[in-house]
Amino acid sequence: MALNGIQIFKLTPKKNCKECGCPTCMAFSMKVAQGALELSKCPYMSQEALDSLSEATAPPMKTIKVGAGDNEYTLGGETVLYRHEKTFVSKTRYAVSVCTDMADDVAEAKLAEVSKVDYERIGEQMKVEMVYVNCGSDAPADKYVELVKKAAATGRTLVLGVKDVETAKAALEVCKDGKPVLNGADASNYAEMSKVATDAGVVLGVSGASLDELYDTVAALEKSGNKNLVIDTTGATIKETFANTVEVRRAALKNEDRTFGYPSIVNVSKLTKDDKHMAQALASVFTMKYGSIVVVPGMDYADALPLYGLRQNLFTDPQKPMKVAPGVYPLNGADENSIIVTTVDFALTYFVVSGELERSGVPINLVINDAGGLSVLTSWAAGKFSSGSIAKYFQEEIEGKLKCRKMIIPGKVAVLKGDLESKLPGWEIIVAPREAVELVKFFKDMQANGEL
Amino acid sequence: MTLFDVVFKGNDAVYGLTESAINDAVAKYGEEKAVGFPDTAYCLPCYYSVTGVKVTNLKELKEALGVVKTLMTREQKLNDAFMSGVATALCAEFIEALKYIDGAAPYAEPYYGHLADAIIRELGVPLVTGDIPGVAVILGKAPTAEDAVALVKSYQAQGILVTMVGECIDQCQSLGLNMGYGVRVVPLGADVTSVIHVVSVALRAALIFGNVEPGDSASLMKYTMERVPAFVNAFAPLNEVIVACGAGAIALGFPVITNEETFRVPKSLIVQPDVSKFNATSLEARDIKIKITKIDIPVAFASAYEGEIVRRGDMQVEFDGSRVDCFELVHHKDMSEVEDHHFELIGPDFDEFPVGSKQSIGYIVEVAGKNMQADFEPVFERKFHSYINCIEGVMHTGQRDMIRIRISKATYEAGFRAKDLAEVLYARIKSEFDAVVDKCQVKIYTKAEDCTKLRHEMAIPMFDKRDERLSSLTDETVDVYYSCIMCQAFSPSHVCVVTPERLGLCGAVSWFDAKATNELDPAGPCQVITKERPINEEIGEYEDVNEAVRKFSQGALEDVSLYSIMEKPMTSCGCFECICGIEPFSNGVIITNREYAGMTPLGMTFSELASMTGGGVQTPGFMGHGKHFIASKKFMKAEGGVERIVWMPKELKDTVAEKLNATAKEVYGIDNFTDMIGDETIATDPETLVAFLTEKGHPALGMDPLM
Amino acid sequence: MPFNRKPQKFNASIREVEIGVGEKAIKIGGENVFPFYTFDGDLGNTPKVGVEISDLGLDNPVPGIAAYYEGCTTAAQMAKKAAEMEGADFLALSLEGGDPNGANKSVDELVAVVKEVAEAVDLPLVVEGSKNVEKDSELLPKVAEVLQGKNVLILSAKEENYKAIGAAAGLAYNQKVGAESAVDINLAKQLNVVTTQLGVKPESIVMNVGTATAGYGYEYVVSTMDRIKAAALAQSDATLQMPIITPVSSETWGVKESVSEEADAPEWGSREERAIAMEIETAAADLVAGSNAVILRHPQSVATIAKMIKELA
Repeated sequence: MALNGIQIFKLTPKKNCKECGCPTCMAFSMKVAQGALELSKCPYMSQEALDSLSEATAPPMKTIKVGAGDNEYTLGGETVLYRHEKTFVSKTRYAVSVCTDMADDVAEAKLAEVSKVDYERIGEQMKVEMVYVNCGSDAPADKYVELVKKAAATGRTLVLGVKDVETAKAALEVCKDGKPVLNGADASNYAEMSKVATDAGVVLGVSGASLDELYDTVAALEKSGNKNLVIDTTGATIKETFANTVEVRRAALKNEDRTFGYPSIVNVSKLTKDDKHMAQALASVFTMKYGSIVVVPGMDYADALPLYGLRQNLFTDPQKPMKVAPGVYPLNGADENSIIVTTVDFALTYFVVSGELERSGVPINLVINDAGGLSVLTSWAAGKFSSGSIAKYFQEEIEGKLKCRKMIIPGKVAVLKGDLESKLPGWEIIVAPREAVELVKFFKDMQANGEL
Repeated sequence: MTLFDVVFKGNDAVYGLTESAINDAVAKYGEEKAVGFPDTAYCLPCYYSVTGVKVTNLKELKEALGVVKTLMTREQKLNDAFMSGVATALCAEFIEALKYIDGAAPYAEPYYGHLADAIIRELGVPLVTGDIPGVAVILGKAPTAEDAVALVKSYQAQGILVTMVGECIDQCQSLGLNMGYGVRVVPLGADVTSVIHVVSVALRAALIFGNVEPGDSASLMKYTMERVPAFVNAFAPLNEVIVACGAGAIALGFPVITNEETFRVPKSLIVQPDVSKFNATSLEARDIKIKITKIDIPVAFASAYEGEIVRRGDMQVEFDGSRVDCFELVHHKDMSEVEDHHFELIGPDFDEFPVGSKQSIGYIVEVAGKNMQADFEPVFERKFHSYINCIEGVMHTGQRDMIRIRISKATYEAGFRAKDLAEVLYARIKSEFDAVVDKCQVKIYTKAEDCTKLRHEMAIPMFDKRDERLSSLTDETVDVYYSCIMCQAFSPSHVCVVTPERLGLCGAVSWFDAKATNELDPAGPCQVITKERPINEEIGEYEDVNEAVRKFSQGALEDVSLYSIMEKPMTSCGCFECICGIEPFSNGVIITNREYAGMTPLGMTFSELASMTGGGVQTPGFMGHGKHFIASKKFMKAEGGVERIVWMPKELKDTVAEKLNATAKEVYGIDNFTDMIGDETIATDPETLVAFLTEKGHPALGMDPLM
Repeated sequence: MPFNRKPQKFNASIREVEIGVGEKAIKIGGENVFPFYTFDGDLGNTPKVGVEISDLGLDNPVPGIAAYYEGCTTAAQMAKKAAEMEGADFLALSLEGGDPNGANKSVDELVAVVKEVAEAVDLPLVVEGSKNVEKDSELLPKVAEVLQGKNVLILSAKEENYKAIGAAAGLAYNQKVGAESAVDINLAKQLNVVTTQLGVKPESIVMNVGTATAGYGYEYVVSTMDRIKAAALAQSDATLQMPIITPVSSETWGVKESVSEEADAPEWGSREERAIAMEIETAAADLVAGSNAVILRHPQSVATIAKMIKELA
């Protein structure tokens, strides 16, 4: 088991030198215990202490970096099987698959499409991060290298699916600076492949005909000194792939079997062939269940919208809810004279409320307050959504932008009405229903009563 | 003659009638003639429920009568009387069944007679939900026709289903009362035996809704007793047959209320000479609570008005506890001392006060209930603020004897008076706390001299007594603790163990609150934790507590100690008011609170500490807690107690100073302990802090090492 | 050294609940392993897929759905057509027209639709209420009554109205009761406890633990289901061992991504493809998180999810 902060602190020099960047040794120890800092940041740690701690603090699953520059991605490093236990740390990355078996124009069209999906969702840029370049069984090396070159031109991080050592070497020659993954080792070639990968300084992907074979191959690679690995858990069938992916992750995190403590590659594209909808289903399944890199046959907006939304939800800190940026969100063609609805910046509240407001069809300016990302009642109780904070925000940011002076506040904080009226002279404060689902009716009634 | 003898005599009489009726029928139709009731799968329903045997023809009916005879034992014992009552009821069913031979329709307008299974299925739902809170069986002739109608209407107004037998039906008809299943008034029949049709409803309900096996008479009677809220109102004069039937009703758990001076059996056979009080007496006897769905006041009542402010210019009258004597109080009393929904105004009403004037007010909400406890009083009382604020045009601030209430002119003009204020308090208390409040009455005092007297002689002593109880309560003096998992929505494995000296770490849930939550909502977030199997009382570890924590965290936590922050400390959710953490250089702990955003001598701010401590994970050396816990004698008792505190933000230190100093004085004999504790104006790094502590001679420096 | 497998076998299992009568009756639940963990043990009954139709007919349908139900003018005709859908195990009839804030159809009107549909199909039936708690406590008991003998699942009894719906569906008319709570394990548990206290047998309860569309607070759904399955299996918590049904489509078809026409969001492409993807990807996630049944609308989604279940189970 991992050590707690107190246990680590006992081994520190306890001199509060601040050289690690932390104000005290205790703060440093707590961060190490959390996995937020590495032990080696402390320059005064004795070798004995380092030795005794490194084993205990070593994570059950390695953190592997792939790609370079802006396209560098961290895979793995997970400590739990379920997100409610502790945050999942490394998001699933998606790779669009091309293959030498495709006609040139088909492959090119696919690569051209890779950049199509690119949008922001609650502060996160959503795009295809990787391209999986597969080498067909009989493809000549030069054909493969050509395809790799084209794929590299997309600027995405590459995953090279190639079993032939020489072909792999040739391909790496043209793309190794981008730090691709060489997904090519298996029981038959791992020693040579490992050398190719190590020489090029890239991560090696390992596959196997069965979990046992995979396990032995990884163990042999580790023994040879290569621990810069990812495990391709794709099996012959969907069922087998699911089993492999879960077993590998579970072995590492639950059973502390560090041989399987590596990120995974799941090749959905290989399993679903031309069934676009099955690929959608499986991309979702392997985002939920332990795919580090999920290889898909393509990615258009239909595929992406739910998938990236799912990933964004799944990889949130259960302690820290998702936030939307404070500001004015005009809905249904609202202008500066449209009525104002205000609420908190908790993403779920925002989605639910904005969805209902959109359904109402009424032009509305939705004003989001900075409430620490908490829900209405929680932020109110914590003093982060108070008449003071709302009044200040409206006076400083909103009064200059909008002309309407009617503000609708959440029913759950009806108690703020009087205070807001006294703090915001000239404003009319209206109390909304307690539940968002009642908003459509609320606005219908307001319209019927001529209040809009 | 004893009550038993009366029952036996009535039973014998009915048995005799039944026997001859069956014999006559056999003579007339022959033994193979079919008997039964229409539209039921349970023939004959009562006999089948009690014995598990179906009766389909006269031969079987005759055999059944033989079985009934075996119930008719004649010892002067309660059970014999009950069984004779049941036997009487079964005989009545047989007599009624004979009326239906050959598909006859023995009952005509307005009588219903036998009720079909479909009606029971339909009735079952509102009975289960409480939409029909009870079933009244009215029997015989009321003193006057007006009495009969008034009684029926009183039940109707409460949603209670009324069934009637005998002359009361004629009485109601004579005054033109609208009767029928649709209006929940069901005249069964003129003969006393027709009462069996409502018994049949109750017993079939047990089979259909209670999954009771026919013939399992123990479960049957348990079900009718616990789940069928029926009762009998029998008008004088009572004859032996009615008394025998009554014994059957009582056997099923249905109390009988009568205006005849007769034998009394507590809770079962109740004499109420005043017919106009039958309703109240019956509801109390059967423990029926009427749901309040609407508050009858001239202005609106909704949470949307909670934040309304009534300004001076708009105000009709003001009650201001900071200037004149005012108070609000919940007082629990004996059942006999409270008349439900009673209201009394002692003094002038709102319309007698000059516009805009400042007046005294005192209101006492008196509650009674079998499960009511004095400890709930402050829990209810704290709700007054939100209740009164929800009234349109009424503003309430403060609590106890420091309240201020303003009533707006518009609300006054709409007709809002003292009785409406009382109505709001009554209705809210009764609906929100119906699990423990059976009866509630409100008294409002508006004369200055009454308010002064009651405030000082009654209210303040009660508040003091409560405070004293709260402060004298220790973990050792109670038998149980409570779990609280209200925070699990965002802190999945966190479980708070709430004890008298260690309130929930959010600071909002005291032991009393947890207790009240548990009693009001037994399946809710607060559950009882026993403390019968201590492992180590020094650090507060109990086998029972560990089991509870394991269960409520779904296995995420194994064991916790209540009084240690080093060994198996209690977990923290995300909503703690404060965090304490060990400060190794001074051998003590620092405490910081949510409001303080600055740095602490640990090198971590509140939010940094919170992210490491929260989430329902045990973090030795660090723990979330409520502000009030700081001055507790149980605060890290295992590590030496409050003496370990070396640093707090200044504001927090000032808030807790009085109580903390008292604790330090009592436990260690240290005066002005907080003067030895650092704050952000003194140090935010360990070195300066240790220098300060050394200068002050802080005891933590000399204590056993914390780790 | 071969890989040392450590299967997670549990002594507890999820309860098996049967819905419908006759040959087409289905069973859900019964597993004693985590969702699709076939490598650990017996999956019990495979998850089931339901097709949702509404008393309101088709409202602004995508072309694929419009084409599928072409020519249907009554709910019964739609039900028949829906029952033929490839991959459909059961039919879900939504009575959303009962919502007082919407079409506000009367109870009698809706009950007539329910009867008509029940007579038209022999597939097991799930009836979803109007989502308004007051209306449902009046409507759903009537639905339970007219469907006596059909062994249907009534969705949903919530904290506010479980007594009326639980008593009618679970006690008076021997149907199955859907217990709906809002994405919180403790609320789910509490509702199961009070519903069983009412007298409803645990084997007559199916949970709807709350749902969301992927991207819309879906993390709460995942964690709630993860925790419920863990409590039910690893902790043998009998109050959480009821199988889970998730009405996916009623959520996914309401979000912007499924509603916006191509004209409003040209870069997003076909509305129909987006709506299908929202439905498929959410349903797939629900199933691996622990749903024993999902309710979908589009024929493509139904076929794909049914096939996925077959592949994984």
